[in-house]
Amino acid sequence: MIRILTDPLWMLVGVPVVGAALGLLLWSKPGMLKVWALLVSMASLLLLMGMSGRLSGPVEGMALLYLLPVAAFLSLLGQPVHQVARVPWVMTLLLLGVGLGAIVSQDQPGVIFLPSVLGLVGLLVHRYRTSTRSQLIWGIGTYSLGMGCLFVSLVAASPISSVALLLTYAILLPLFPFHGGYVAALAGLPGNLPVFLALLLPSIGFHGLLTLLPDTPGGVVQALVILALFGALYGSLKALVQCKVIDLLAYASTAFFAILWWYLALTRGYTPQAAVYLSAVALVTAGLLLAWRAVQVRYGDVDLSAISGLARSMPRFAAGLALLVLAAMGLPPFGLFSGFIGMLLDPSLALSGTLLVILIAWLTASWYFLDLMQRILFGRPRPDIRYEDLRHTEIASLLMILMILLSIGVAPSRFFEPGMPDPAYRTAMESDPWSK
Amino acid sequence: MYYLILLPASVLLAAVVIWGTKRNLREWSAGVRVPAVVIALLAMLVAAFLGSLATLVAVSSHGPITMRFYDPPSVTALGIPIGFYIDRLSAVMMVLISGVTSIIYLFSIRYMQQEHGYCRFLVLLSLTTFVLLGMVSSSNLLMLFVFWQLLTWLLYLLAHNYAHAGTIEGAFKTFTMLRLADVTFLAGIVLTNALYGTLEFQTLFARAADMPITLSLWPGSGLEINAVTAVTLLIFIGAMGKSAQFPLHMWLPGSLYAPTPVHALLHAGIINAGGFLLNRLAPLYGLSPATLHVVFVIGAITAILGACMMLTQNDIKKTLGYSTIGQMGYMIMECGLGAFALAVFHLIAHGLFKATVFLNCGNVIHNARQEMKFPHVDQIAEPAAFSLLTWLTGFIATLVLPLGILLAANGILHIPLLGSQGTVIFLFFAWVTSSQAILTLTRLRAVASWKVAVAMLLTLLLVVFTYLLAAESFTHYLYPAPDEVARYFKAAALPGWLFDGIVVATTLLIIMGWVYIYAHAHERTIRIPAWAEMLRARLYVLFMNRLYVDVVYHRLGQGLMRVAHCLDKRYAGWLP
Repeated sequence: MIRILTDPLWMLVGVPVVGAALGLLLWSKPGMLKVWALLVSMASLLLLMGMSGRLSGPVEGMALLYLLPVAAFLSLLGQPVHQVARVPWVMTLLLLGVGLGAIVSQDQPGVIFLPSVLGLVGLLVHRYRTSTRSQLIWGIGTYSLGMGCLFVSLVAASPISSVALLLTYAILLPLFPFHGGYVAALAGLPGNLPVFLALLLPSIGFHGLLTLLPDTPGGVVQALVILALFGALYGSLKALVQCKVIDLLAYASTAFFAILWWYLALTRGYTPQAAVYLSAVALVTAGLLLAWRAVQVRYGDVDLSAISGLARSMPRFAAGLALLVLAAMGLPPFGLFSGFIGMLLDPSLALSGTLLVILIAWLTASWYFLDLMQRILFGRPRPDIRYEDLRHTEIASLLMILMILLSIGVAPSRFFEPGMPDPAYRTAMESDPWSK
Repeated sequence: MYYLILLPASVLLAAVVIWGTKRNLREWSAGVRVPAVVIALLAMLVAAFLGSLATLVAVSSHGPITMRFYDPPSVTALGIPIGFYIDRLSAVMMVLISGVTSIIYLFSIRYMQQEHGYCRFLVLLSLTTFVLLGMVSSSNLLMLFVFWQLLTWLLYLLAHNYAHAGTIEGAFKTFTMLRLADVTFLAGIVLTNALYGTLEFQTLFARAADMPITLSLWPGSGLEINAVTAVTLLIFIGAMGKSAQFPLHMWLPGSLYAPTPVHALLHAGIINAGGFLLNRLAPLYGLSPATLHVVFVIGAITAILGACMMLTQNDIKKTLGYSTIGQMGYMIMECGLGAFALAVFHLIAHGLFKATVFLNCGNVIHNARQEMKFPHVDQIAEPAAFSLLTWLTGFIATLVLPLGILLAANGILHIPLLGSQGTVIFLFFAWVTSSQAILTLTRLRAVASWKVAVAMLLTLLLVVFTYLLAAESFTHYLYPAPDEVARYFKAAALPGWLFDGIVVATTLLIIMGWVYIYAHAHERTIRIPAWAEMLRARLYVLFMNRLYVDVVYHRLGQGLMRVAHCLDKRYAGWLP
């Protein structure tokens, strides 16, 4: 028992999970609960930093792990204190615990934590049902498929188990046509949960994928490349036609993650560029969700056509959103630019005509993100709305996200040095200019 | 040499200071006196200008300055590999940018004083100057691309005004069009890195010269392309975007709602980015005659269309905007002929001239509103009688003088005019513009005296020779090695018959135009076939509507969105 309690893995999992359980004691005091949730996420971060030497460490280094409690903290910080937000807060802590467990426990990823993440998110999607019927069905179906695949991976032999695990990771790090769960989670869950899940789900998927890809057969890799290319175009196309901001963000990030799949399938190993790109996409999505959440809190779940002219009436919000859109369009000096450029300039990436599809998806992002920004910020403000700009906590959370994006954009290799890689990855990393 | 960092840093500091003191600045700007902070900021810009001048002197005497804050072999090791490479080209561009920006800043202090976005404008002006300085002094292609992209975003910010629907639409068009060009530029960089393994300028030029690579366009088809040609073509599309080359030129007229100082900056500084890029990569372009020919064709088309569209506009800003497009086409055409230094000379001359015109056009508009008959109608001063002397002078200026200049320059000044097509084109430009200007003046004043005719011809000679000598000296300054210049000319050389044909056809067109105008001005009739008259009318409508290119883009965008919606609806139930 003592051995379990002092085990770094269980300590990391334990702090947020126990924090979530203790949070139930503060159920009747939402203000206190929010402060408690913030403290627990900070404690998780400090514990993680303190234990970084004792952890066997994921191959992608510790930065991505650090970002999880940071994302939990930032997603909670700007939220208004309200009774309906209590479940998302507690669930954020719970998911933080199992999410950290899923990434840190390298030996048995499928046994406890991964099904917990899939199950919890699937249940939440089912419980809230705020997304469209189609999204709900696809979401629940996808998470059920993930659970099934995990079960198969535990009982089946090598090639089948690997493919089953790959499918599970394709649900977490969204890949066409298994992105329904991710879209449903972002579009359907309340409060700060979409913001946190925008980072958590892809991080777990990415981590798992790195352990699988080196041994994946060539045929499967080819299929992944095709799916990734199709996903990039599909996600871009869907993002173009959305009238709801959250749906747009969900599909846009699906397209961005498809680019990551394309890169990972072609290089088949860990590179810091991929981690930078993943973090940046997730943070940009989280930041934009957070910004839109501020609008939702004030004016309800409105369409893009129902709100405009916020540049004049909410200047602080406008500045934050404009900078986030700048980052989302892949402009320097933010992390998305560094990650994307780093991936494209990676010497181990074999260039082919598929680059054209990737560049089209990249270009399309400029179109719909700029359109999103212009429609929200410009035009005439509605006379029937009493506008209120961002509060200090909301500004702080957006600013911190922007600062992180800027930091990983300016000096990406400082943050994403690999941890203790398996011998299989070492060869790839030694020839990698990012590690020089 | 680390003081060089202070040049862009001082401008960046100016932006930060304005942003930090914006509340006070807004209050002060409403007053009569110019606040101290504005003068201090102007001093920073002037300091940057003086620093650029000092750098120009240092580079001229001691050679290029290189500073890198990264390991050159691993240029992709960091997100942004920061480094500076300042040669004569960079230094000249830095002087131009900081000089023009200082003048624009000085002008804007009072001109923009009552504007709501006064501080925002000053911040953006400073940031744009910083980005331009960083871009022209970049030590590698990646850093240049970083500033290139920032420039795209700043252009969007400078062009838009969120309270005005027209500017928002124009800004969106500007950004998407420039982004399209940026993405192809990025593709060029990626291909460069994949083929040559470096983005460092000097190493890249050396490797590209040493490693002839052929790429297959489609596996098994036998279609192949030279690697340098592929890379330079992709990068050229990036340059086409920034320098408003056809068909990526529509963003420039679309951004004409922006304040006058923004235009001055845009037309004198930002739009030169394409010309600078081609010059920076001149050794690479010199390796690909095919790309240079494409550059020439695009430049020529843009020059012709830009000039034609300019003639049919009835708005002063649009006229100037299309004039810039035409001039940029000319500048790109010079690059396509291998006359890279002349292109820089051209863009400097054009930048200074256009900045002056734009800064003054606000007054013209103001005067036109105050005094309805302004500008003056030129028909009033038309002579009634046909002047043989004026006609003869025009004939000599048009046909005899150029031949004399060509022979004199070749034989007496030892400038290899006959061997370099770029210089011929440049001379052609000088001759056409100056003689056109002088003939117009003569026509307007209705002067038909020998004294005036001689004075006119002498002035023309003086102008063209001065122009020619200045351009030749500048070429020698920018590219001191004559072999290098000769190599570019050789790579860009069009087949003799084609080049001669172009020159002869253009000359004939110009002469015909002059004859027509002269006869028209003297109320003489020239027999023109009916189909030609109809064609003229149709072309006029076509150019007045800017070739309907913006309509085509608009329809294209709408069509794409319609297809996207259609696909989304059709497969809504099948896919998440």
